[in-house]
Amino acid sequence: MNVAVKPADTGSDRANAPEVMLDIRNVSLSFGGVHAIKDVSFNIHKGEIRAIIGPNGAGKTSMLNVINGFYHPQVGEITFKGETRTQMRPYVAATQGIARTFQNVALFRGMSTLDNIMSGRTLKMHKNFFWQMLRFGPAMQEEVEHRERVEEIIDFLEIQHIRRTPVGRLPYGLQKRVELARALAMEPELLLLDEPMAGMNLEEKEDMSRFILDVNDQFGTTIALIEHDMGVVMDLSTRVVVLDHGEKIADGTPAEVSSNQDVIDAYLGVAH
Amino acid sequence: MDILYNILIDPFVQMGSAPDFFLQVLWSGFVAGTLYSLIALGFVLIFKASGVFNFAQGIMVVFAALTLVGLYQAGVPAWLALILTIGAMFALAWLVERIVLRNLVNQEEIILFMATIGLNYFLIGFGEYVFGGEPKPMIAAELGLPTGSTTFEPFGGIVIIEHLDVAAVVMAIILVTALAIFFNKTRIGRALRAVADDHQAALSVGISLNQIWVIVWFAAGIVALATGIMWGAKSDVSFALQIVALKALPVLIIGGFTSIPGAIIGGLVIGFGEKLFEIYWGGLLGSGVEGWFAYVIALIFLLFRPQGLFGEKIIERI
Amino acid sequence: MRLAEGRLSGWKQEMTAEAHDASVHDTIPKLLLRNAKVRGARPAMREKDLGIWQTWSWADTLTEIRDLALGLRALGLKRGDRVAIVGDNRPRLYWAICSAQSLGAIPVPVYQDSVAEEMGYVLDHAGVKFAVVENQEQVDKLLEIRETYKDLKEIVFDEERGLQNYDVDGVRSYEAVQQLGRDSDDGEDVWRGEIAEGKADDTAIILYTSGTTGRPKGVVLTQGACVWAADTAEQFDSLTENDEVIAYLPMAWVGDHIFSYAQSYVSGYCVNCPESPETVIDDRREVGTTYAFAPPRIYENLITHTTVAMEDASAIKKKMFEYFLGVAREYGEDILNGKPVPLMARLKYWLGNLMVYGPLKNRYGLSKVRIGYTAGEAIGPEIFKYYRALGINLKQLYGQTEAAVYITGQPDGEIYADTVGTPMGGVEIEIADSGEVMYRSPGIFTEYYKNKEATRDTKTSDGWVHSGDAGFIDDKGHLKIIDRAKDVGHLNDGTLFPPKYIENKLKFFPNIKEAVAFGDGRDSVTAFINIDLTSVGSWAERNNVVYASYQELAGNPDVYKMIEDHVDAVNLELSQEERVAGAQISRFLILHKELDPDDGEITRTAKVRRSLVNERYAVLIDALYDPSKKRQKIKTEVTFEDGRRGDIEGDVEIRDMKLHAIDRASFKEAAE
Repeated sequence: MNVAVKPADTGSDRANAPEVMLDIRNVSLSFGGVHAIKDVSFNIHKGEIRAIIGPNGAGKTSMLNVINGFYHPQVGEITFKGETRTQMRPYVAATQGIARTFQNVALFRGMSTLDNIMSGRTLKMHKNFFWQMLRFGPAMQEEVEHRERVEEIIDFLEIQHIRRTPVGRLPYGLQKRVELARALAMEPELLLLDEPMAGMNLEEKEDMSRFILDVNDQFGTTIALIEHDMGVVMDLSTRVVVLDHGEKIADGTPAEVSSNQDVIDAYLGVAH
Repeated sequence: MDILYNILIDPFVQMGSAPDFFLQVLWSGFVAGTLYSLIALGFVLIFKASGVFNFAQGIMVVFAALTLVGLYQAGVPAWLALILTIGAMFALAWLVERIVLRNLVNQEEIILFMATIGLNYFLIGFGEYVFGGEPKPMIAAELGLPTGSTTFEPFGGIVIIEHLDVAAVVMAIILVTALAIFFNKTRIGRALRAVADDHQAALSVGISLNQIWVIVWFAAGIVALATGIMWGAKSDVSFALQIVALKALPVLIIGGFTSIPGAIIGGLVIGFGEKLFEIYWGGLLGSGVEGWFAYVIALIFLLFRPQGLFGEKIIERI
Repeated sequence: MRLAEGRLSGWKQEMTAEAHDASVHDTIPKLLLRNAKVRGARPAMREKDLGIWQTWSWADTLTEIRDLALGLRALGLKRGDRVAIVGDNRPRLYWAICSAQSLGAIPVPVYQDSVAEEMGYVLDHAGVKFAVVENQEQVDKLLEIRETYKDLKEIVFDEERGLQNYDVDGVRSYEAVQQLGRDSDDGEDVWRGEIAEGKADDTAIILYTSGTTGRPKGVVLTQGACVWAADTAEQFDSLTENDEVIAYLPMAWVGDHIFSYAQSYVSGYCVNCPESPETVIDDRREVGTTYAFAPPRIYENLITHTTVAMEDASAIKKKMFEYFLGVAREYGEDILNGKPVPLMARLKYWLGNLMVYGPLKNRYGLSKVRIGYTAGEAIGPEIFKYYRALGINLKQLYGQTEAAVYITGQPDGEIYADTVGTPMGGVEIEIADSGEVMYRSPGIFTEYYKNKEATRDTKTSDGWVHSGDAGFIDDKGHLKIIDRAKDVGHLNDGTLFPPKYIENKLKFFPNIKEAVAFGDGRDSVTAFINIDLTSVGSWAERNNVVYASYQELAGNPDVYKMIEDHVDAVNLELSQEERVAGAQISRFLILHKELDPDDGEITRTAKVRRSLVNERYAVLIDALYDPSKKRQKIKTEVTFEDGRRGDIEGDVEIRDMKLHAIDRASFKEAAE
């Protein structure tokens, strides 16, 4: 077995000086002539919940896409766990322990909940597919081990009842939960959540908030999330970075950010 | 009245009066059907994983068979030639991914389709250059494929079953079962379905598209090789074989482009259908029914059930 | 048999050879010891966890219960102390009940979804000292309660999640308590000694019932009562250790306590706990439940699911479903009851079973159900007949918390949709002059905990219990419940007037959505009707009747005629039942507006608020009792959906009904 990505132990290192997990320095990204991100720098501490907020079109999702390698910035450096690079391929990001969810739910619609989550274990399974086809010996044992991990996640997110349901048939709120489950199955060190509560009703939002806090608390997973619901952001996040038109306009604790005049201005006139 | 009698009654009278011959027709339809299914399977694999209709699938059948026979004629022992051919199909898959697919990622589907047409002509040219254009006999006996036949005597008549046909059917069944297990039960199969469903999401969980494409093209290459061996053993190995591969199109229209069971059933429908029609109704329409029957059936399907028997329902969202 | 006095007794109980010796195994913990000895390797409990069924044999169960009991004892739990049990159906919570009982302590299961304030009342009233709970949610609730209710000493939790970092006094994990138990010296002997001290008249459990009015009352049941109830059911339905049940109804409900707990210890069968409340149907299918118990709404929900699924199904499937359901409706009940049925029908039913009923039953998880019960409230006859037609042996029973469930049950082969069966073994039933059903049995409760007054009002000195329900015994000797006793009134000539009974009969017609019957203290019975806009609306569409509003449709003469026919049908039914024959509806009207929760006329759960209706529609009621009036004008204030208020005016027609003759003589005959 390769070096498994072990969730970090929380609590103990909270008190000490924060360890920087991801550092983004002077990143700029443009498509043709359009500047999606302009010279943005911020970092994410190990074990924190970092919110990225901003009005529509502020470049939040582009930022996540840069972090997990979908987009390659023209300028800037990204340091993840001490390694610096200008671009990252999604495959590498995944192997390094970065998992994510998508704004509009990107699930494998034809597969069951279970298979979707199992696909999150792809990188952790190593046995030859020949053995897997025979469903025998070490491959079978490996399959069982991974299934156990997946079952724990299913239990954790309380989705036992939809284990066998094709995800395409699930209501939106549950799809979001399955997507989170798939990301968790990767046992990530850094979890990127793109509007995890978009389109949910109040009860679903409360459930999702609880799950996010529990993930952070129990597995010590570092989380970066984009969210529009300011109440949720204030409740969940340790620190908040605010983007507007691709530029960073504020960075700090929820309290600091919400009293920042630039932030207030940026949000004025933007309907939510 | 005569016409109606000839269409609606006479064929069934014939079937009933010579049941042994009827069985013989059914069997030949079944054998043809399994081979059609195999070819269609090659298309489905690639279509599922990359959304590309691989125009070169037919030529891959020829290319695989030619490589095998060519190597043997160059003095390589049959078993080694088989292994080397498998290696060649892997090399082909790898090269296609490296040279074609990787550079065309995120392009329109039509562009990828055009690329496969290019691949098609490249393989024809390359095959002719290396192995020559004349037909070659398949090395069936050397590969250990059975010859001869067994005669049954049901209903007081005779039915002849070629051993080669039995081998073809058995091999098709083994291949299909293996592919089904591969798709549904292994990590790579799961990854493959994931890629088919959503590229971005697949990337985000660490599935490597490049790796998946190589595997899929390789699997399609193996299927092509198997088809080439069986079909080649029945006739000869020549570029004319790619015409047979075109039959896969109606099979896919009937079965649906994304469904493995669909490819199998579609293949059988065409196989049974064209043999029965040729024998019992063919006389009414002049011979050569086998040539166009499949396409007519496909046309009917396109009119009434465009997604095929097992294809994913096309739902227009408003 | 003479039934005129309306008194009936159940069969005399006899002890079969297999049955346990009630004098030796007179408490649940003693039955635990017996089961561990005679069927130690057989499964006692299962729970689906992480997708896999975990099984505990009776021997395992004994160990689990013993360790917990000794742990609780080490923490200071003593005979007579009360222990709250809070959570979903989990093996560990059932074991906690038995652990407490084995020490002579009294378990008090509490509805897990009650809010802290309600739960606090129960805990305080019961004087609970210990609590065994499922998870963090419940621990948080109890900690909140403990801020004011200081007597709660120890909280033991099952599921660790989210509780690792709780550093609070008196909150500990189930494992930790069991470890305490394992560490105690010569625990086994001490524990067995405690069990030996238990007696049949020890209090086994206190079950709090959520009364419709006022605070919940704690029903005290003895060990003897619980064991009796289980013994009775075992004989009635030949239950064995091979039966399987699934535990998914609240543990605080008496039904679950008897079916999923006491019965398992007496009959030795296995109780299965579902993975989560949402997976019950799948889990039930997997374990192949043979003995089922549910309130009517569960059965209603299953039908709703099917209806919804069928709407999406293909036309062929739909046709097939409807056709075979028709076959089932016609012959299913007879086949189930073993009556002669034509060969062709049997064949069709067999085919239907293959194609429709079988898959359907499988989907409900009821394929293997030998006996299924519905209880708790009245089940709609259509729903009841639907399941019987499919070949599921669904039966009704009439029970109460105060009776340790069993009062009457339907014996196999004597199933009627509108009665609740005959008295169970050892039960005596009497109908009081007021029409109230009274019963007496070995299973009746000791008292309402710390509520002497309520106990006195409900239980007579010679052990008869007021059920609070009005009913009568019909000519087949079956009990028929018609209404809550306090709702039953009398006409001026003394005839019984059960409003809900009459209203329900009316509401069984799809065209009638709501009905309000009047008659208490009057000369005759009258009724308001609300038509069902969906049902009548679709009739209107089919018959090209144009209407702009509810009011217009309600006033349509054809609609009136249709409703008149329904009322007449109800009258005919009433005329054939001796006790209510005089309560036929003499006049009715169709209200000009729908009774609306926004106007406070009915509750959100669709219960009519009688006093408010009486007040708002006094004019109409007066008109109903004024024979000279054929129409009545009325103006009613309404609240619109956007919160604005306005008036609806109407001119409502009143219909007179011709009553059916009552054949008193035939009632006499039947009674003889």
